[in-house]
Amino acid sequence: MSFVVATDVGGTCTDTVIVEGGKSLVIGKALSTPPDFAGGVMDSIRSAADAMQVDVKTVFDRATLFIHGSTVVDNTLIERKGARTGLITTAGFEDTLLVTRGAYGRWAGLSEEGLKHPVATDRPVPLVPFDLVRGVAERVDYKGAIVRELDEAQVEQAVDYLVDEKQVESIAVALLWSFSNPVHEQRIRSIIKARDDGIHVSISSEVAPAPGEYERTSTTVINAYAGQMVNNYISNLQKLLDERGYRGPVLVMQGYGGLLPAERAAERAVNMLECGPVAGVIGSKFLGDNMGDKDIIAADMGGTTFKVGIIQNGEIEYAREPLIDRFHYSVPKIDVASIGAGGGSLITLEEDTSAPQVGPQSAGANPGPVCYGLGGTQPTVTDVLLLLGYIDPRRFLNGTMPLDVPTTEQVFREKIAAPLGLSVEDAAIGIFRVANAQITDLIHKITVEQGLDPRDFVLHAFGGSCPMLASAFARELRVKRIIVPYTASVNCAFGLARADVMHDYSTAMTIPVPCPAAEVNAIYEPMLKEARETLKEEGFSDDKMSFKWSVGFRYALQVHELITPVRADTPLDGNGMERLINDFEALYENRYGKGSAYRDAGIEMTQFRLSAFGRVERSGFSATSPGDTDPGLALTGQRRVFVDGRDSLIETNVYDFEKLRPGNIIAGPAVIHTPITTIVIQDNQQGQMDGYKNIVIEAT
Amino acid sequence: MRLSQTLDLDGTSIVCGHCGHGLCDKDVNWKEKAILNETPMRTLGDPYSTDEQVLLRVFSCPNCGALLDTETAMKDDPFLHDKIFT
Amino acid sequence: MIDPITFSIIRHRLFRVVDEAVITLKNVSGSAITNEGHDLMVSLYRADGSLLMGGVGFLHHLTSAAEACKSIIRRFRGDIHEGDVFLLNDPYTAALHTSDVYLVAPIHFKKELVAWSACFVHVYDIGATNPGGFCPDAENIYTEGFSSPGLRLVEKGEVNRAIMDTFLNMVRSPDMVALDLNSMIACNNVARKRMRSLIEKYGIETVDETCKTLITQSGEKLRARLRELPDGQWQSRQYLSVKDEIARVELTMTKRNDTLVFDFTGSSEQSRHAINCTKWASLGGLFAPLFPLLCYDITWNEGVIKPITMIAPPGTIVNCNRPAPVSVATVGAIQSVNNAACITIGKMLSASEKYASEATAVWHANHFAVFLFGQNQHHKQAIGILTETFAGAGGARTWADGIEVGGEIPNPISRMANIETIEYTFPIRYLFRRRLKDSGGPGRYRGGVGMELSFVPHDAPDGGMHYVVSGKGAKFPMSDGLAGGYPGSPNAYIWIKNNESKTADGHSHPIRLDAMSGEKQAVDWGVFPLMGNDALYVRWNGGGGYGDPLLRPDEEVCRDVEHGLVSPEFAENVYGVAIDDKTGRLDKKLTDKKRTDLLARRKRKNGGGHAAVTNP
Ligand SMILES: [Zn+2]
Repeated sequence: MSFVVATDVGGTCTDTVIVEGGKSLVIGKALSTPPDFAGGVMDSIRSAADAMQVDVKTVFDRATLFIHGSTVVDNTLIERKGARTGLITTAGFEDTLLVTRGAYGRWAGLSEEGLKHPVATDRPVPLVPFDLVRGVAERVDYKGAIVRELDEAQVEQAVDYLVDEKQVESIAVALLWSFSNPVHEQRIRSIIKARDDGIHVSISSEVAPAPGEYERTSTTVINAYAGQMVNNYISNLQKLLDERGYRGPVLVMQGYGGLLPAERAAERAVNMLECGPVAGVIGSKFLGDNMGDKDIIAADMGGTTFKVGIIQNGEIEYAREPLIDRFHYSVPKIDVASIGAGGGSLITLEEDTSAPQVGPQSAGANPGPVCYGLGGTQPTVTDVLLLLGYIDPRRFLNGTMPLDVPTTEQVFREKIAAPLGLSVEDAAIGIFRVANAQITDLIHKITVEQGLDPRDFVLHAFGGSCPMLASAFARELRVKRIIVPYTASVNCAFGLARADVMHDYSTAMTIPVPCPAAEVNAIYEPMLKEARETLKEEGFSDDKMSFKWSVGFRYALQVHELITPVRADTPLDGNGMERLINDFEALYENRYGKGSAYRDAGIEMTQFRLSAFGRVERSGFSATSPGDTDPGLALTGQRRVFVDGRDSLIETNVYDFEKLRPGNIIAGPAVIHTPITTIVIQDNQQGQMDGYKNIVIEAT
Repeated sequence: MRLSQTLDLDGTSIVCGHCGHGLCDKDVNWKEKAILNETPMRTLGDPYSTDEQVLLRVFSCPNCGALLDTETAMKDDPFLHDKIFT
Repeated sequence: MIDPITFSIIRHRLFRVVDEAVITLKNVSGSAITNEGHDLMVSLYRADGSLLMGGVGFLHHLTSAAEACKSIIRRFRGDIHEGDVFLLNDPYTAALHTSDVYLVAPIHFKKELVAWSACFVHVYDIGATNPGGFCPDAENIYTEGFSSPGLRLVEKGEVNRAIMDTFLNMVRSPDMVALDLNSMIACNNVARKRMRSLIEKYGIETVDETCKTLITQSGEKLRARLRELPDGQWQSRQYLSVKDEIARVELTMTKRNDTLVFDFTGSSEQSRHAINCTKWASLGGLFAPLFPLLCYDITWNEGVIKPITMIAPPGTIVNCNRPAPVSVATVGAIQSVNNAACITIGKMLSASEKYASEATAVWHANHFAVFLFGQNQHHKQAIGILTETFAGAGGARTWADGIEVGGEIPNPISRMANIETIEYTFPIRYLFRRRLKDSGGPGRYRGGVGMELSFVPHDAPDGGMHYVVSGKGAKFPMSDGLAGGYPGSPNAYIWIKNNESKTADGHSHPIRLDAMSGEKQAVDWGVFPLMGNDALYVRWNGGGGYGDPLLRPDEEVCRDVEHGLVSPEFAENVYGVAIDDKTGRLDKKLTDKKRTDLLARRKRKNGGGHAAVTNP
């Protein structure tokens, strides 16, 4: 049988999922090995091969598809390891990037504390310093009409200056209104390439063809800055696979939620930002589709952050004003919100009030939590989870890392419990509640903010720590139920294995409604043509292609638009057009409440989006039919753990995940140990293992 | 004890924070004892192109020349008076 | 006594309530001033109208909206119901000016009034003499549009159509104003919903106790901080000019033990122009910088208001008598109060070893309220502020330069619109928008620079537009420096008449002021045309500097010159740093000589010691 191999390189771990056609799915995990990620990739694949009891060679021999996600672009930016980058822009507007729409770039991404303290704030150091910015005379207007021709002599001078004098390795080109008329940007690229083909060039009309010159410029600069790095990364990856004898396609995850062939991905560094967590949301959607859930909160808690994505009515939400390391960018990207609350987040007490704080600082993997015994001296969330009895000190990481409970207790008492005037147990319970409250607030923010009610949602709990907290915070959110997926610990890699090739196209144009369907169809025609050609080039036959339309709407006069998926058959007819408009109105009312729409102003369409999919062939994996409900065989004993709503730790049943069978029902309170995490079931809840080994937790 | 970033209080006297030169008693406006350079703001250059009557007052230490304070002022407006109570 | 954990959770959640309400405001509103400029505010109040949780946004509204709640409570006593929303925008009752409309709403829990939410946006239009709300032609409050000391716009959840329609009947672009009101109703709805679920979860007693404690705690924290600072008295003065009138805002701030008194005695009599402010506006004006400068780590609530006293003599520009016009207040005398308070607080902080790092010179001291109006290229009526006024400029700190185009203190989350957004909405074309050389106040640490911009009509069906400019104070640099730092440069507004828009090489798109032909006229007060070949040029102020410019390291001045933030002439004249014409590098020898010379001249009275251009 053939294998699909999906590998996700994260900041801490490199995860692998191997799907063997028709059979089950295998998980591999290893530490990432920056800056050369190859080691981690191979270790992780080896770990999965071990689990399948085959050797690595067999994996490569039988692999028919290799899918990859990586944090390489995020790291390049955060560590400032990108290329020396110059910027060519419209003369008179050289400062657009540095000025960041005024204070916007200073305060965007700050916490409440930062926002309230302007004297202590500043912008991040720009990726392109001012002396590497050059304006060239040219001007295009809002319609795309050329007001002033491009002064090519000035372009030559600018390139001379940047390349000869300043030795840049990469150039971003971002001109006003270039998305309406890209000829000047294209011409500048030709001039640079004619002069030195080795320079990387990113032009804004290709990287981020959308209105808003600051965000478009910033996006293009990020792309240029990380472009060469991603190029090298991907060609190294291809070389590695080649050496191992793999000859099949290599697909790379994109932040908008689809895959691109590696060669194309190399040109779009900025699209790889946060692609791992995005793949996690895709994995969630796949699970939801399988289980019949359309509204999902996908929550992932790793070592340093807590991340959430939202799937509503089977559609994944896109981010409105995405940021990376406080830099704005504006390519379509699936929204993943995050706060600095992970297992390694430090617990501190506020100076004057002793109010406890969780994060955002993190102990990282080294020294890590106090309980690791690697020198950590400040308590973390993981330490609290240990003190609450959720983590079995002898079974941590499958028993490979014994945890030091006495020291943890002592440090926690000294630094947190005593200053609060509480016992260790009571203080740990308190911190647990603070962490849960922060998480609840984040989820509220990204749901309620969009007019969504968490009570309509199912919560997927991923990552090393989330299955321990989810049963408590999900109760406050009053979600319908909690799913701890079998793949919880390698969720992003799992998502990679389920993603399809996808190209995103969009056309910005303002058209008031009502308007004839033909007018909209005409806008889509050229995009469809291009999409078909591209997918064909990539080897997809017509029957493997599918297309999804969505249209940005707003009430005329409003600023924010709402992307509304086209549910009718395309191309549209009159009825389909009507249905689309009705869908928009319903969506709007649902989000912003009754009475918030102002219909008298009229409705207009502002953006036409096309998602073109190439379906990647792979067989599914099958479910086991559920058996007996009695989990007795998996019961390994009892331990004192914290049960939410009780005042102290109580004796609670402990189960072994590996011994549970589909169909088993576990009554709360209880904990289930998996090789990587613990699943906690609270009072008045029960958990059942389904046919895919997911644990489904519901209120009783 | 400091009076500001540029001035100190030495007992009951205000002194230059740079050289320690005594200016005056703490209850007096030290600006009376500093050297005043008062010129139209516009002499700074283009973006300061304003009326002749808008002045930049520069107060400095008579001993070391350290810049002690500045004021934007119209000709006859009194000096601003900052003081620390002790 | 609430345990610290529950306390911490409720405190953060109160901030989130405000945050979510702000997002609703933006999502529903249609105007650039709200969405692009963030000229907005949402906050929560106790049942008696005292401030419970101030959100970020324009901070001078936090105390005024508290007064709005209190005044609604007095006016409607016994007649306040669940689901009501009240409108108030009379500046003599509580508001800052008529166009910043407050919508305040009671929050009930189990039929009992437990809190208030309040928000404002600068509405698209308020029906004043001039479009957009800032009204240079106003002679009194009666010409400044609709104003109400309090009316019930929403009754038990139902909009009162008669009132709504009457209001909309009195304004230009009623569609846009309706959208503004809708956004504020939705915002209050969200605040109420979230506040109630908070109470449901923790119980009214716990939430109430937490709120009380929060207020006590904020008061105690601020008082403790004040006690750490030296007792003393600090003064500042701001000049405001309109046409030939020059007004002064005089401030003496006195700190004794744990109290602060802001005394505006000596400020000018109220103006006949609309730059005046009422006492509520002045109070808000001094709190706007006080919150972020003294309470950056303290919850913004009633507790920090208590230790502060304001003295503002009636009949003056900081406490005008009805019917004095006030529509330009928020960018007029209020801003002068902001600046004056920023500097006196900065002087007090810098007198303390511990807190000197929190002191700052004035940021972006002078808003330029330019409202464009007319028919746009899509054949719709458009009114809108140039949101560049929200881009700002940072004042120098005692340890670092001001942030270039870095915003302002009274609104920590301001920003400006993209040119592509503006050019799509208005029939204009920008010629340039860039950082303004030499605008940052000189000092050991330089003030952040402002910007300059210019635009011409483009595709305008009527051949152009008109604009209202309330550019008071253009005569004066208002971003004061600190500890000897010089002020940032002042604003300027220039009408270039019948500019042929031709550059030397024949292209019709000049990108510098000096490349533009046509008669240039300064315009700073009133309504002016931008028709045919006219151009408008605007430059805005830099932030104030900190410390002695002669002590700024020469390599930093050199870098400023290299980055186009300081001209070589300015570097030489003000900083005493000489740049070699040919190499563009520092001329160390000449610099040493220049600096020694400037220092020597400074020791002579009126020796031209601040600038080499004034020869003794
Ligand atoms: Zn001295």
